Parts: sequence; C-alpha cells; structure tokens
Amino acid sequence: MASNISGKLKSLCKNLGENCKPTYVVMAIATVKGICRPTFTMMDKHEDYETKKYTAIREGLTEVIAIPVYWGLGELSGKCAKFLPEELQKQGKKNAMFLGVCVAALLIIPGLCSATIKPIMDKFFPTKKDEKKVDKNLDVTSSAPQLQSVAVVSDLKLNINQKPTLQTFFSRPQSGMRVGGV
Amino acid sequence: MNILGRMLTSSSLTNVTQNTNSQVVVETTLKAIGRPGFILIDNDIDHDTKRYAATKEFLYQATCLAVYALLIVPLFKNGAFKLAQKMFDSADVGKFKSNKQYGHYLKLCETTPKNRTLTLDKEIKGTANSQGTRTVVSEKYDQTILDELKKEKPNQFPVLKGAVELGNIIGSVFGLAIFAPQVSHAFIHPAMKFLGLEDENGNKKSSVKTLDKTV
Repeated sequence: MASNISGKLKSLCKNLGENCKPTYVVMAIATVKGICRPTFTMMDKHEDYETKKYTAIREGLTEVIAIPVYWGLGELSGKCAKFLPEELQKQGKKNAMFLGVCVAALLIIPGLCSATIKPIMDKFFPTKKDEKKVDKNLDVTSSAPQLQSVAVVSDLKLNINQKPTLQTFFSRPQSGMRVGGV
Repeated sequence: MNILGRMLTSSSLTNVTQNTNSQVVVETTLKAIGRPGFILIDNDIDHDTKRYAATKEFLYQATCLAVYALLIVPLFKNGAFKLAQKMFDSADVGKFKSNKQYGHYLKLCETTPKNRTLTLDKEIKGTANSQGTRTVVSEKYDQTILDELKKEKPNQFPVLKGAVELGNIIGSVFGLAIFAPQVSHAFIHPAMKFLGLEDENGNKKSSVKTLDKTV
C-alpha cells in the first residue's frame, strides 16, 4: 500500500518535473480559493446571514470565472510559440503561457468580474436591487433642501433714549420670552 | 526574430517562468494592481465605497504576498526537497546537498558542457579562509553529479524537480488560499482604521456628514 502511494507520487513528480505549465499553479490556487474563501466568509459570526451569503457567492463566482480564463488564455497564448524557431518552441511556449496568465490576472479576470458578477448577483438576489434601504440617517450636506435666504425686514424702530409709549408695546413681537415683564 | 519572438525567448522571462515562486509573486503583484484598479474605475459604485473596497482588496493582496514570500517559500520549497531525498532513490533525485545547489545545477545544465566546466572551476563560494584559500563551487558537488555535467545532455532529475514544484504548488495553495486570508483578516481592519477608512466598530466611514433622523 505504502509502496503504491510512493510509486504514484513518484510518477506525479516525474510528470510535473518534465512538464510543469505555468497555468497549473494559478488554477490550483483559484480552485482552493473558490472553496475556502466562501467557507471562511460563511464561518464569520459577526456578519448577518444574508450579507454572508451574498459575499460568499460573490467570492466563489470570482474564482469560478478565474479558473477557465487562466486555462484558456494560458493555452491560447501558448499557441503563439508556433511562430518561433523549432529549437526555441518549448521554452517559448512556457513563457507565452506565463504572459497569458499575467494578462488574465491583470486585465481579463478583473474586467470580466466587474462586467458579469453584478448582473448575476442581481439575478440571484433581486430584492437587493429593488428594495430601498431605509436609511435612518439624514444626509445634511448633499441632500438637504436648499432654502432661499429670507431677508428680515422690520419696521420696528426703537429709540432707547425716548420714553416708551403705547405704540412701542403694540409694534414689538407678540411671541417669545420677554425680558422686563412687559 | 521579431520583437515578440525575442521577448518570448528572453532569458530573464525564462528564469521567472521556470520558478513557481516567481510566477506566484508576479501574479499576486498583478492582482494587487488589477483588482483595485478595476474597482476604482467602476462607475456603478459611489466614491467612498470604491475607495474602501479598493484599499481593502489591495491590502489583502499585499498581505498575501508578504506571507507567501516570508513564510511559505522557504518552508515548503526546502521541505519538499528534503522529503524527496528521503522518499525516493538517489538515482532519481541525485546527491545534492541543498535545494540551492540543485538550482545551480539546473542552470548549468542549460549551458554547453565546456561552459559548465569553466563555470564550475571559476566560481568560488563564500570568503577566503584563514590560509587565504577559497572554496571552488565544484568541490561542494558530489562526483556523480560532476560526471553528469560532463555529458552532452545531463540528467535533470525530473522526479526531484517535480517534487520541488509540487511542494511549491502545495505551499502556494496553502499560503494564498488558507493561511494568508486568516492573517489578512487580523491585519486589514487595524490598517483600515489607521488609514481612516473604518470607524471603531469596523464600519465603513463616509465623507458625507449625516444626522440621525431618529434622535
């Protein structure tokens, strides 16, 4: 049994040593990330269930998109090596595959995720898009109604050096606290 | 050969491609640039959310990179080399003293037999000893390995190469998919608070000032 496992491991190592493509490692990482990241997210006790589910599906979808893109673009760019001289084709193929993986990581996968994940998530969670979140906070800077400034016109003319007459008390505001009791 | 041909066969690119660690480091660096970049140019998200999500994604990828380079590479690469030497026959894995020596041997295999001998006789290791003599690299090699280097096409010990690659792949998967997210989870929130993008409760900070309606 042990020798059987050792034999299989030896054969695996030999194959990997003779032909290790740059796509293998990135695909292996993406596969395990696609399983582990959503699992870790679902294990988070501080988040509510719906948010966890939404984040986990989003993370899983990112890796689901990444795996075929890495493989496809790696193999496709490997074909470019056909234009090289025959003695350089083997070396050139690996390098071309690696460049394909780099382009996928830098541009294609983030771009595809930005373009496709949102519509997919809207389909999975239609309420997320439709429901309007009731915000208990009022935006006081950007959403506040712009009131026109009102010019306060008062025809109240007080002369403190004159003895108050009856007219003085009638013309003053009839609300609010008054000082002096009158 | 055209520019594309020269680029595809360049020795510096070949050095990166032959090493899984370099591949993973390059790929993670590109992810750390690409993913936050695409978040920032997304027009469907508001400015604060974009800034928050892009910084979080960048910090996550940067943590992954640091954890991978500092911990996973030395542990798994050398571990796989030692394990392969214990598990497999010396005819399959050769008599190398270290993984570094095997890497040096693989580089020599790519050159012509004459250049290999010249390189081995010229290259010296470390500093001079008390008698003023210096160790030549070839003295550190086993005789069977030196005999192998004299051949036109030396044995590259694919089983050992594959074992090291397998160790790298397992290390990369463990490091980037299991270990680094746990480390980044502990590191990201204090970093976001330090940058002023999160409040004390771990919630996203907004630049728009709000007033509680219910109070």
